[in-house]
Amino acid sequence: MENKKKQGKLKRILAKRGMGQVITVTIGLVALVIVFALLNPYFLTGRNISNLLRQIAPTLLTGIGQSYVLITGNIDLSIGSVVGMSCMTSATLMTKGVNPWVAVIITYLACLLIGLLNGKLISKAKLPAFIATLGTMTIARGIAQIVNNNYNTDSIGEAAEGFMNFFYYGKTLGLFNTIWITIVIWLVFNFLLSRTRTGRHLYAVGSNMHAAHLSGVNISSTVTKAYLVSAFCSATVGLITTATSGMGTMDAGNGYELYAVAASVIGGVSTLGGQGILLGTVIGASVWGVLQNGLQFAGAPVAIRNIVIGVIVIITVLLDLVVRQNKKVGTGKVGTGKTTSIGLKHKA
Amino acid sequence: MDEYIVELEKISKSFPGVKALDQVSFTLKSGEVLGLLGENGAGKSTLMKILSGVYTKDEGTMKILGKKVSHLSPVTAQRMGIATINQELHLCDHLTVAQNIFLGRELIAKGILSDKDMNAEARKILEKFEIEINPETLVGDLSVSKQQLVEIARALSIHAKILIMDEPTSALTSKEINNLFAIIKRLKAQGCGIVYISHRLEELQHIVDRVMILRDGKQITSMDFAATTLSEIISYMVGREITEKYPRVKEKVGKKIFEVKNLNAGRMVRDINLSLYEGEILGIAGLMGAGRTETTRAIFGADPKESGQIFIEGEEVKIQRPLDAIKAGLVLVPEDRAKNGLCTALSVRENIALPNLDIIASQWGVVNPKKENEIVEESVQNFDIKMAGVEARADSLSGGNQQKVIVSKWLARNSKVVMFDEPTRGIDVASKVEIYEIMNDLKRQGIGVLFVSSELPEILGISDRILVMADGKITKELDVKDATQDVILTSATKFEKKID
Repeated sequence: MENKKKQGKLKRILAKRGMGQVITVTIGLVALVIVFALLNPYFLTGRNISNLLRQIAPTLLTGIGQSYVLITGNIDLSIGSVVGMSCMTSATLMTKGVNPWVAVIITYLACLLIGLLNGKLISKAKLPAFIATLGTMTIARGIAQIVNNNYNTDSIGEAAEGFMNFFYYGKTLGLFNTIWITIVIWLVFNFLLSRTRTGRHLYAVGSNMHAAHLSGVNISSTVTKAYLVSAFCSATVGLITTATSGMGTMDAGNGYELYAVAASVIGGVSTLGGQGILLGTVIGASVWGVLQNGLQFAGAPVAIRNIVIGVIVIITVLLDLVVRQNKKVGTGKVGTGKTTSIGLKHKA
Repeated sequence: MDEYIVELEKISKSFPGVKALDQVSFTLKSGEVLGLLGENGAGKSTLMKILSGVYTKDEGTMKILGKKVSHLSPVTAQRMGIATINQELHLCDHLTVAQNIFLGRELIAKGILSDKDMNAEARKILEKFEIEINPETLVGDLSVSKQQLVEIARALSIHAKILIMDEPTSALTSKEINNLFAIIKRLKAQGCGIVYISHRLEELQHIVDRVMILRDGKQITSMDFAATTLSEIISYMVGREITEKYPRVKEKVGKKIFEVKNLNAGRMVRDINLSLYEGEILGIAGLMGAGRTETTRAIFGADPKESGQIFIEGEEVKIQRPLDAIKAGLVLVPEDRAKNGLCTALSVRENIALPNLDIIASQWGVVNPKKENEIVEESVQNFDIKMAGVEARADSLSGGNQQKVIVSKWLARNSKVVMFDEPTRGIDVASKVEIYEIMNDLKRQGIGVLFVSSELPEILGISDRILVMADGKITKELDVKDATQDVILTSATKFEKKID
């Protein structure tokens, strides 16, 4: 009887929607790890694994934010710039003598404002997400540049040592703090997404905005929440970057939004919205990180690395599409009338 | 003209997990209209998709125009003269009518695309068949009924010898339907063979020569239309006798539970006043374009309004958005299931839970899985929803069951007034009866039922009182005992000066 119960629970977890892709990708991840370990035994040392995990952190954190936004059927192109803005804002404040923790709070507030702006532009002003976040991407990068008069900052100094240890250099119970921070943030946002009302609303909006609206969901507030989460994650990564280099660099975070999309998509989060789980994003970010790290240790030159990574990403997503296509044919889809594109009012 | 233009023999087709067609044989003569009938899921669409080259058969033989055909693709089928008019319109909103008609076979003059030629040719076809549409209009700017006519014109322009029409009249006005029947008669005289698929069985008598009935992927029977009756056809489709097509219950009319005063929301909703009493079903009749959907949406708060007061059980309720209406117990089962009613990629469970999350989740917003399962299981039981489990994707259910999911999600909370917009469109006969029974049940419980429908027999069969709308206004209010199809149609066509 005990066994049956355990089997039932495992079955339910595996049957959860989105797990299919996660399992496929996990197998892929394990395969990659084995291949790289064979190519270079140093890959599997405790030291490298520790570093690897810490390298995955920024991709995973921005991946969480991007996944939230993708699930609502939108995209956030401003992620990388917000990372840069966070890095420069915190570093500039600290070099000007502001208490590091006060700087942290101010940085979060500033980045959350960008998230709020994104949410409102898209849900209230009805700008397409691509355009809106393209705009805020440029604005945030501009702020990153202005904040210290178009210069990278000086060293943030010894007063910031506690800050640097907290976000990057320190270890707790044997693991780098960065890893703990990532774990805690993941746990919180995973709970929010899978076990609360807000999480349900996010999936509903991404699946069918009209039906969600007619079911009483507040579209505007739901979409804004997704962008606020994304901004929070980007801000965190920016702070980690400041802690890592001990200064602020204006082009920090460049291109991160696309890596965040890659991590999400590999993990099964659909760019069409309404699908995907954060567990997938973890695996996706790990695949990305392992590829970067592993190829480096295998001695591959930078150019080859990029090509290999790109090819593997495409293959992973293709594989999932093929698997899902085969499952879908045969489910009787009932046509009730024409599907008009979103934006066209119902014509009588 | 008596030759067979289509002969399909012992066709079988399977998809993972489901045998859609089992040894079905099908013939079509030139100059004949064949009504292909069956419930949703019976296999009609699959069979026609094999004929038009979209699907490949697993077993069986195909002869088209006397020639044996082993491989058929959409392109080769079209070249052989097979055209399909789909239920889900396959038109490009951002292209003009002419461009859509010639999509894939654009006319070229001196090496460049010739819109001039295409517009002229399109105009010729439209005029020939008396379809009143300007070929240079963007399809996206046309009403759904006109879009359906464009789809028909496209098939006509291909000079099809075999025409497959899937629910061609679902969005048309009665004038347009008559015109369509005239077109069909002309095509018949020219030797065209037509397969006519429709759930509107009352239409068949005007147009169909023979009927073929499918059930569960098997061919049940095929016979001359003149040799059978509608009830016989229905019993073949369903496999059992349906005695009451429109189950009517009589209830004592009680107090006023719902009232709308002075509702104005744009051109389609003008000065609407209505009342609803306990124990009655209020039917809202009218043609497409009368503003009925817009009215229900304005009441529900889905669209903004200029003025209007809403009273539930005598108390005024301020409704600015759907959530306000839902909280007050006023709910809407919307018109287009796939577009507005369900989150199609989400599970049945998630769809039922969505508007009830305030009951299912704690004050901090955390969802209680036990409570959720309770509510979902109860809903599924109460409404006898057939599906592959509560985790099944919502769009894997049949139309009737999808509709039940939508209704059940509202009835899991204490709803006081339920508005239905075209609740039985695209649903098979047996499921329709189930929906009517649900409405009767609500009536019995004293819950207000307001129901919009374009099917006059349905309105006359189920409502206790009827409102007729035309051009955004209510043109008539009457008791069902005083109502006839004529009276309703007259009031439904009271348009003011037409602004086209």
